[in-house]
Amino acid sequence: MIESQRHSYHLVDPSPWPISGSLGALATTVGGVMYMHPFQGGATLLSLGLIFLLYTMFVWWRDVLRESTLEGHHTKVVQLGPRYGSIPFIVSEVMFLFAFFRASSHSSLAPTVEIGGIWPPKGIGVLDPREIPFLNTPILLSSGAAVTWAHHAILAGKEKRAVYALVATVSLALVFTGFQGMEYYQAPFTISDSIYGSTFFLATGFHGFHVIIGTLFLIVCGIRQYLGHLTKEHHVGFEAAAWYWHFVDVVRLFPFVSIYWWGGI
Amino acid sequence: MWRRLVSSSHLKTLGRLTAPPPCRSASGPARLLRPPPLSASASHFLRNFSDSDSGVVGNTAVKKKVEDVMPIATGHEREELEAALEGRDILEIDHPVGPFGTKEAPAVVKSYYDKRIVGCPGGEGDDEHDVVWFWLEKGKPHECPVCSQYFVLEVVGPGGSPDGHDDDHEHH
Repeated sequence: MIESQRHSYHLVDPSPWPISGSLGALATTVGGVMYMHPFQGGATLLSLGLIFLLYTMFVWWRDVLRESTLEGHHTKVVQLGPRYGSIPFIVSEVMFLFAFFRASSHSSLAPTVEIGGIWPPKGIGVLDPREIPFLNTPILLSSGAAVTWAHHAILAGKEKRAVYALVATVSLALVFTGFQGMEYYQAPFTISDSIYGSTFFLATGFHGFHVIIGTLFLIVCGIRQYLGHLTKEHHVGFEAAAWYWHFVDVVRLFPFVSIYWWGGI
Repeated sequence: MWRRLVSSSHLKTLGRLTAPPPCRSASGPARLLRPPPLSASASHFLRNFSDSDSGVVGNTAVKKKVEDVMPIATGHEREELEAALEGRDILEIDHPVGPFGTKEAPAVVKSYYDKRIVGCPGGEGDDEHDVVWFWLEKGKPHECPVCSQYFVLEVVGPGGSPDGHDDDHEHH
């Protein structure tokens, strides 16, 4: 039997991070509202809240890494938790983005008279889908292939190659983000330009935000792989990152087809 | 074999997924054998193991050590891995099997402490009944009120009260 414990589960030690995260979230939301309305100090509170939230994420997940990799608490059954928990989380993210794509379809499939009864609305200079969007989509898809390469490298025990593969994945992701940012900067329309601008920037913007989150997750995995945390038997964190990345990848296809391509013609 | 239920017997399902005894090769190829699947999660991937980067050739006669499978394993994960490689079920005292317990040949339930919650599901087939739960205490054999199966506790650990309140000595 597991002599020291009598069961395979992980009963975590008391931790301040849940409450600090909650306080950070409170500060962020209240500060955000204050900032968007004429209240003093909103910006300060908002930024403090965000910083605190990010700090909590850092220290919380650092504790998870310490408990799992360095202390060995993550037995097979404990691993099932994060593994099977990532899936509903990703599904919830899909639901979130689905809402924005639905908003886009809602407005574009039956364009109202205020925008000229046509889609794209009269006067909107849409981006040519055959230019940057058409380049960015395969960039993201290749990064998905690269993360699969990294996974196979980890499973085969080729640790250095896995690091290279993750570097490739992250580089492609950063290139994607760079191009998207450039496109945002050069777009002839803004978020305030009718419902087209709103739905375009919200849908692609939140997708881009998720790309950035996924990139950060993969960078952390790359660092961990470099440090030797990930073994071929046990790399739940990497798998979660890879699943998240595939989700980001697949989601990209929806706006590309519906917003960029169909929405532009 | 009549099975008996004990608390936390659901762990048995997970226990079943841990490794069968490691396979050993006869004299033959020097390649490392594919290690036994260690868990449901691990068996989800199709794996082609190749030699590690250090180019170590598999020693075909030596049993696998934890270091071969996961060099950085530590703590409970390591204990679990070690037991799996030795073919041992760490939590085997949680799912006892054996013939129907009688006064002459009681059903023995092992316990880490001096008493344990046990459930009796009855005999085979038609003799099964709804599970009856009871505390089985050291030195006090128990008879199931429905089917009269006879149970006896065997302490395989330090004994004492399971809630730890009888400890006079201080330890965590």
